[in-house]
Amino acid sequence: MSDYTFKETQTLEYKRPDVVKGYADQTLYINLSDPQIDIKPVAEETKQRFTGGKGYDLWLLWNAVQPSTRWNDPENALCIAAGPLGGTPIYPGSGKSIVATLSPTTGSVMDSNVGGYFGPYLKFSGFDALEIQGKSLKDVVVFIDGVNQKIQLFETSGLPQNAYELSAILTEHFAQGKPRNISVVSAGPGAKNTLIGCLNFTWYDPKRKRARYKQAGRGGVGTVFADKGLKAVVACWNNVTADTNAPADKARLKTVAKMHSREVVELDPKQNEMAKIGTTHLVTIMNDHDLLPTHNFRYGQHAQAPNLGQKVYRLLFDPGFDGCWMGCTVACSHGIKDFVPLTGPYKGKKVFVDGPEYETIAGCGSNLGIFDPHTVAEMNFYCDAYGLDTISVGTGIAFVMECFEMGLISETHTGGLDLHFGNRLGALELVHQMAAGEGFGQIVGQGVRIMKTIFAKDFGADPDIMQDIGMESKGLEFSEYMTKESLAQQGGYGLALKGPQHDEAWLIFLDMVHNFMPTLEQKAEALHWFPMFRTWFGLCGLCKLPWNDVIPEDNKDTVEPAKVMKHVQWYADYFSAITGNEAGPDDLIKMSETVYNFQRIFNLRMGFGRRQHDEIPYRAVGPVTEDEYESRAERYDKQLTETYKVNIDGKNTAEKIATLRKHREEQYEKLKDAVYKRRGWTPDGIPTQKTAKRLGIDFDDVVELLEANGVNS
Amino acid sequence: MIQVAGKQMAWREGMTVSDLLDALKDPHPYAVVRINEQYVTRPNFEHTSVPDDAEVFLIPMIAGG
Repeated sequence: MSDYTFKETQTLEYKRPDVVKGYADQTLYINLSDPQIDIKPVAEETKQRFTGGKGYDLWLLWNAVQPSTRWNDPENALCIAAGPLGGTPIYPGSGKSIVATLSPTTGSVMDSNVGGYFGPYLKFSGFDALEIQGKSLKDVVVFIDGVNQKIQLFETSGLPQNAYELSAILTEHFAQGKPRNISVVSAGPGAKNTLIGCLNFTWYDPKRKRARYKQAGRGGVGTVFADKGLKAVVACWNNVTADTNAPADKARLKTVAKMHSREVVELDPKQNEMAKIGTTHLVTIMNDHDLLPTHNFRYGQHAQAPNLGQKVYRLLFDPGFDGCWMGCTVACSHGIKDFVPLTGPYKGKKVFVDGPEYETIAGCGSNLGIFDPHTVAEMNFYCDAYGLDTISVGTGIAFVMECFEMGLISETHTGGLDLHFGNRLGALELVHQMAAGEGFGQIVGQGVRIMKTIFAKDFGADPDIMQDIGMESKGLEFSEYMTKESLAQQGGYGLALKGPQHDEAWLIFLDMVHNFMPTLEQKAEALHWFPMFRTWFGLCGLCKLPWNDVIPEDNKDTVEPAKVMKHVQWYADYFSAITGNEAGPDDLIKMSETVYNFQRIFNLRMGFGRRQHDEIPYRAVGPVTEDEYESRAERYDKQLTETYKVNIDGKNTAEKIATLRKHREEQYEKLKDAVYKRRGWTPDGIPTQKTAKRLGIDFDDVVELLEANGVNS
Repeated sequence: MIQVAGKQMAWREGMTVSDLLDALKDPHPYAVVRINEQYVTRPNFEHTSVPDDAEVFLIPMIAGG
């Protein structure tokens, strides 16, 4: 245990309001530069317009920053919110927090959702959202003590840097014998020394007697946290029941919660077994459908992929209840007990690994040509402990490995590291270097977009090929699905507000495997409805897994099976029961549409949010190299001849690649047109004045912004 | 006998997943089934045999991820 000190610098005692119908109706503001703690009321119109969760985050951020604000300016705000349904212990998946800030890698708005107890504890302590501005030169711990109605800022020294030990120490320090009352948010040294830092949100596991954690991974939210001088933010709350949100109609809540909970308990064992194996079942399923990224998204399949599949992790995971929020029957947050790393500061010591989930397995495994579950677990452990996003780490190292194999970079640039695909120790060494901000890892930790610039400028690498194979868009690294054969999923990634993360739209199976949406208009409709409904979970503090990863047995006989409308109706009932605002499925979409369009306009304000910013690298669209083409030559030849009516007789592979590229890129542009039209945006991808007015976000500064960008009434 | 989606079904030697789905006459385009703890995907339906006494689960995988 470290010798550490806490020096109290600010304290605010407050009277905790009762949470009523899911809302505390106030937010907590902290400024670290000139230490200040303040409590701000939430206006009724803000509540009606932005619903909560991500909506509240965005509104706070919008009012905190200017178009000129950069991620590391003191005025950049880091916002965390739960949402009106967050913290309900009887409805599965109701413990999510949403983090939003200006991202170090994209320069624009980033949002990232995460499990753990923090969001609900924050709200029950009296705050719908937390907004932190400013910077401290010394390490600061913020303690939100809802039980004793006190907010405290501490200057600290001597605390460990890594989140694994820090979470345990702070849980014990603040728990006063009741560790389940504590949730810790922290980053780690990797977050401080890279631009791809994540945040770890804890939940206490009483059976294993340890603080476990989940990650808000995307877009460097942990880097912003570390840059502010934040060591940790800790929330304390007790006594969570179905009454804690003071639902408007408890009987209705209990009825709908019971139905959904029971269904998960009954059907998950018959379907994906997430309560036993998490999301690891996806590995072999994706592999069989040529959708599992391997070797920097070159291919979607590998003979050794089953080494990383559910059969293996079923054996590795420590059996037991693994819900990241109380009462969640999905309970998918599995971990590996007594894992012994082969490298780094924990080499030879037993640790508990929280994970891995599918994204980490694909990112830190198959996409690096690594098919060893032990290495994936070790990458997972260190990324979390260091505060690094496993997706950006995986996709970033995959890019580096391909550059190394192509000869774009060499051992001269990597500090002597051999970074061929499959080099397990090389990948792990890069993670340790990222955490320390040293060596070649310091460059890799800047993310793919900046790496492309450095490799071209300093190492003389070809920028064009790097543009094609560097898997980022808007500055965010792709999450781990192959999109080459699914135009809809290319849009799912490329048209996502924050960058290519699948939480907006995951349409691969609908589009490619089931062919449910053959026309551009059908794809556009899907790229409207699915991002809107998925956004709604982030407004309310919910996990989306219970919606469509456990599916009613009669769902296949419904009109629109992909939407799982029975569950959508349950969510509408759930919202109505908690808030007292009667809502149907269309109302949920409208709530999301408001926030979604506001975020797109926010991007515009930050200098993004146009058609040109929805570009994706060609590797996401089709085969870049001759090897890629030839490995699936039958598929590509057939598309050229049958779909595009091209005579390929006498054409060599390079010519066929060029022809296919022209057609596929045209399709992607046509998709953009169709989606923008469906969303009520201009051909340049900007919401129209009419759309802003319809959604009630036609504030004066929004109208002016749209006009300044050529969008007139 | 095998059990498919909770219902008993006759088993025969050499029965593949494709045979099983054909016999069900279920129009849903399943992409994945689970035989006991083994996940089998559509590209493998035709050459994956269903063992006697197996429990088969039809996985409605559509828009997850």
